[in-house]
This record gives sequence, structure tokens and C-alpha cells, in this order.
Amino acid sequence: MIRTEVSGAVGRVILARPEKRNALTPAMLAGIVAAVAELEKTCGAIVLRGEGEVFCAGFDLTLCREDKGVMGELLTGLSRVVRALRRCTAPVVAAAHGAAIAGGCAMLGGCDVVVTDAAAKLGYPVVRLGISPAVSAPTLRLLTGDGPARERMLDPGLIDGRRAAAIGLAHECAETAAAAIERAEAIAADLAAKPRGGMAATKRWLNELDGTDRDEIMDAALAASMALVGSDEERTRLAQLWAKQDRKQ
Amino acid sequence: MTPPTPPPPTPTDPTTSSDLALLEVSSPVARLTLNRPDARNALSLDLLTALHARMEELEKREDITVLVLTGAGKAFCAGMDLKQVLNVPGAPARLLSSLGEFTLRLRALPMVVVGRVNGAAIGGGCGLACVCDFAITHADSKMGFPEVDLGVCPAVVAPWLVRKVGAGRARRILLGGGLMSGQGAFEAGIVTQVVPTAAELDGAVEELVQRLASGGPHALRATKRLLNELDGSLDAGVVRRGAGLSASVVEMPETQAVLRTKLGM
Repeated sequence: MIRTEVSGAVGRVILARPEKRNALTPAMLAGIVAAVAELEKTCGAIVLRGEGEVFCAGFDLTLCREDKGVMGELLTGLSRVVRALRRCTAPVVAAAHGAAIAGGCAMLGGCDVVVTDAAAKLGYPVVRLGISPAVSAPTLRLLTGDGPARERMLDPGLIDGRRAAAIGLAHECAETAAAAIERAEAIAADLAAKPRGGMAATKRWLNELDGTDRDEIMDAALAASMALVGSDEERTRLAQLWAKQDRKQ
Repeated sequence: MTPPTPPPPTPTDPTTSSDLALLEVSSPVARLTLNRPDARNALSLDLLTALHARMEELEKREDITVLVLTGAGKAFCAGMDLKQVLNVPGAPARLLSSLGEFTLRLRALPMVVVGRVNGAAIGGGCGLACVCDFAITHADSKMGFPEVDLGVCPAVVAPWLVRKVGAGRARRILLGGGLMSGQGAFEAGIVTQVVPTAAELDGAVEELVQRLASGGPHALRATKRLLNELDGSLDAGVVRRGAGLSASVVEMPETQAVLRTKLGM
């Protein structure tokens, strides 16, 4: 469900589960980490995008219904993805087309450049389910500053692409989802053409300056999300979600 | 015992150091001008030495409330004079270290500093604009950080840009390289004000300087000192590590090859 492609100096990591809006499984998260490690050996830049209409709708929570341990695996896997994207020597450009929700939005924090589109939906509705998006707080606040980060992590509502660009969650907002992917590809091609030694040194230095090279910051954020896994609140709210989904069927 | 090898001579500027950085004081306002117009005010070791000497004067002055930093001629500052140091072992490290120390001293000055970005502000030059408390330019000036295009690493200026525009936007700007217009620099948050044409620059600078100078000198100094403490501006270690990193990248064989081609040497 994770596909990679290489064209010229640009590598692509594609979330390829369009029938589920690219909802993330533990295997997909591990797949992203592996794909990035493979592509950075040869590529000058990497594009992260989704197949189909949306970038990523977040975790596949239906998995948590059968196996209570999956939530912890998803959160740990997400934290590993953010670190892998950040520490990969090549710059990573995300195309947050259509939707980047919860875990999907969190992945953007690991990327160096984020492009979205005007109608895209972004944000963290998971507090409604008794789940904390704390795992992505360290990188979100770097993108938006502390004020908007607080708003986005505590408010379960979603924002559109234009608002995301205005607060810094995205660097650019294209008119359409297709244009967002095109623009991400163009930026990646431009970055990939630059001398790689200076690029890698600059990215490493920016990680050092903003603290994303330090595991203790990322570990503490993960621990804050993990602390709620299996809580009464989470179980009750997820049970309500399953009941609602069953009624729909 | 063989006598120690003398260090290779560093090319010197024909003008004397005090002419390279002009300081005019008309209390409570002072103006510091990078005066190497033939080289678009590129930061050579001599220019930086002259700027450091001016810092020594300014650090002692208690009668100045606002300092205007600007460039003579058409450019504000074209960045590091890499051509001058490329073939001199150890010179890139000295140059970058001197730039790093200068940014720290400029930031720590007790008076409010306004960058009058009269034209191109590139690489280290754009970094100086970020160190200033305010920066004003015109819509058509060229600004930005093309370091990655040359295979070098903008490590000295990175902490200043991060403080100015935030980590997320700084990452996009520094990894993306290239140049932007003065209008683009305003939209990116690098300058605090933009005027439509170069002809309108002096009026806007004068208006801002007068407004700033109307503030209580002690209140301004205390506020600036606190802001410097809050945002980590006084952390010399990070700038010094950046200077070391930047120099080590300049001295990589891959970088030297790229620089020789791009600078036409």
C-alpha cells in the first residue's frame, strides 16, 4: 500500500490505498520509513503524496476495533515516520491534496515544504475520540508558531487549504488538488537539481536549530499521546463510533 | 627546526578600513554605511574588520537611539566575498567567523537598528537585514539566500532567519535557494516594510526613524534587551557553530568545484 517511483533525481513516496482515502495502517507507516530510507540513497528530493483524491484521511481506526494494541502501533509508527522524513538527507515536499487529517496532517510536520489546495481539509478531529494529537505538537508548532498550533490541536474542527497556508501549516496553496501535486513535483525537481552536499548540511543544521534532531522532544510528545491509549474515555468514544458506523450499514 | 610557514597573504582592499564602513552620527540617530560599492558591498575580511571597529564605537555611545544600517551605491550587500577567500586555506573560516561575530554584535547593540535595504541583499547581506530590528526595502530590490544553489550552507544566517520568520518558513526559504523581490521579502516577513519604488525609500526610512526616535531611550533599550533574551539572540554558541559548519561546507572539494564554476574562477 506504499508505492515508490523515481523519475530523474526526484523520488516519490505514494500512499496507495485510495479506496480507504489512504487511511494509515501500521504496515503503511513502516513502509513509508523504509521507502524514504531507500530513496534518499539516490534521490536529490522526495515527494510525499497520495493516490486518488486525497492525501491521507488519518489512521485506519477500524483496525483498532479488532485489536486493542493497534492504536499504540499507529502512534509509534507515525512518530517514526515524522522523524524519518525530517532526518532524511534529501528535502521532502508534501502534496497535501484533498485532505490531510489527523495522522495525515501530522506527517506534514516532518516535511520540509508543504503544498496544499484551496478546497483541501486539514486538521486534528481526534480529540473527539479521546485521542491526543500531542505526538505531532513539536513539528506543528514549528510550522505555525505557538498560537495557531494551540488552536489547531485543541479544536477538532478542520480548516481549508487557504487558511492552512495563512497560518504556515502549508507553504503554498494551489487552486486545485491536481495543481497542488504538480506544484509539489516542480518544487522537488528544483530542489533535486541543487548540489547535494550543501543541501544536506543545510537541512541537518535546520533540524539542529529547531530541535527536531533530538529524540527526547519527539519521545515526550509520543508519550503524551500514548498515555491516553486504552483510557476509559478513548474506549467509550471509539465504541460510540463503532455503534454509529454499524447503524449506517 | 624549520621556521613556521607564514600564513598566506589575504588580499586587501585598496581603501582603508575606516572608509569601508562609514559612521555618521547626528544624535540621537546614527548611520552606518557599508562602503564598498564597486564590489556591491560584498563582505570581505577588511569590510568586516571595519564594521567591527564601528561596533566598538557604537557599543559605547549612550546618545544614540536609532542606528540606520545601509549600503553605498546600488546594492545593500551582495553577501560573502567568497571569490576573495576561495583559494586561501583557512580564509573561509576566518571570514565566516568574523561575519558570525558581527551579527552577534549588531544584534546586541543597545540602540534600535533599522536596515535601509537600498538594493540587493543577498546571502549574508540578507542575513544582516534579518539581524536588524526593522528592515525597509523597495519592491524591486533583490533579496534572498541562494547559498544552496552554490552548494554552500547558510548556517550563520539561519538562526537569524528562523527568529525572523519562524522555523517552518525559514526552512522553505533556505532549502529553496534563489532570490525574491523586495515585495516577496516583505510577504515572507524578512523585511518589515516595503515601498513601491527606490525613490520612496528615504522618505519611509526617515518617517520610521523619527517615530522610533520619539520613544524613550531607556524604554527602547530595556525592551530590546528583553526581546534579545527571549528569542535566544544572545546565544553566541549557535552562531559560532553555524560559522564552523558553513566554513567546513565551503572547504569540501565538491563545493569548491561548484563554486569555481558558478563564480567563473
